[in-house]
Amino acid sequence: MNRLLIIGVFMIGSFAWADHGHNNEMEMEAHSHEGHLHDTLVDGKQLDVDADRFDKFVAGLADTQIAIVSVNGMVCDFCARGIEKTFAKDSSVKKIDVDLNRGKVLIAYSNETAIDFDDIKKKILANGQNATDLQILIV
Amino acid sequence: MGIFLKCLFIFLIVTLEARPISYSGGSTLMSMSDNMKDSVFYHYSPTYKYSVGIEAVKDKFFNKDYSYLRFTYLLDRKNTRHSQRNLYFQSGLSPDDNGNHFFGMHGDWETRRVFVGFGYKESFNKFQDYTEKFIQTGFAPYIGDYGDLHTWLMVKSKHNSIKGDWSTYPVLKFFKGNFLIDFGYDKQTDWDIHLMYRF
Repeated sequence: MNRLLIIGVFMIGSFAWADHGHNNEMEMEAHSHEGHLHDTLVDGKQLDVDADRFDKFVAGLADTQIAIVSVNGMVCDFCARGIEKTFAKDSSVKKIDVDLNRGKVLIAYSNETAIDFDDIKKKILANGQNATDLQILIV
Repeated sequence: MGIFLKCLFIFLIVTLEARPISYSGGSTLMSMSDNMKDSVFYHYSPTYKYSVGIEAVKDKFFNKDYSYLRFTYLLDRKNTRHSQRNLYFQSGLSPDDNGNHFFGMHGDWETRRVFVGFGYKESFNKFQDYTEKFIQTGFAPYIGDYGDLHTWLMVKSKHNSIKGDWSTYPVLKFFKGNFLIDFGYDKQTDWDIHLMYRF
């Protein structure tokens, strides 16, 4: 009986999860050159995106906004699968790419979509990771 | 003994299973086989914080077949840009009348290059109670991109209070997309195989 009580106590116990994300949205026209993609934004922030990957991602896309989301805890392909599946259910999402090396998720939205970082954070958190930053590029 | 050594000792006596909780709304089917049991385990995660599932077990040691209703809870997770750390509580209760149940803890810390995991589990039944412990560590020989075949070279040490001795053996882990397989072999404990499909 005591063992069952111990199990019960553990089942209802929980630890708080700290989520220290912040929103840094920046709109700009995007194109890449010499392996870099506009290294510095107008607000001085560095944009850390693989240019070749970005070019491949946006190829064929028009009238599109690209949300570049920085994600903490995205260290494993197997564990990041849910991110792709979650965003794929969103009808306003045209395409998604996960860049494990840089800890980025690229999401292509139609230009009419109002990109909501809080909604993105919720979707990332539903997969167990934390979205920490958002930059929006228009292609 | 210093606090560091005590913490290291506690760390070393506990095990891991690969991601016992999926993303919100995700399901996972696992098959495991080692010297003590063969099992098939399905679990569903209503949120990323916990999973519920059912496990069918063929117990090789006690020569019994039974099932567990399982509950796993994510006690703590720390995400950083380059790492993730997890601590889980796991439990199982058999609806059969043989009194099988277990509870334990397991955890892991990993980067894209290095992995360390540990676990501790106490199992109870009407024949003989026992504990299982393990530690597993390894590294990725190359860093694959999203969607690539990922490979891990690992070493696992495990101890079962019925068998007595610790056994240490190499483990290979591969995963691609929603499939994962890891397997290890030791003369003493035979094969240790784990298959997983997430959907």
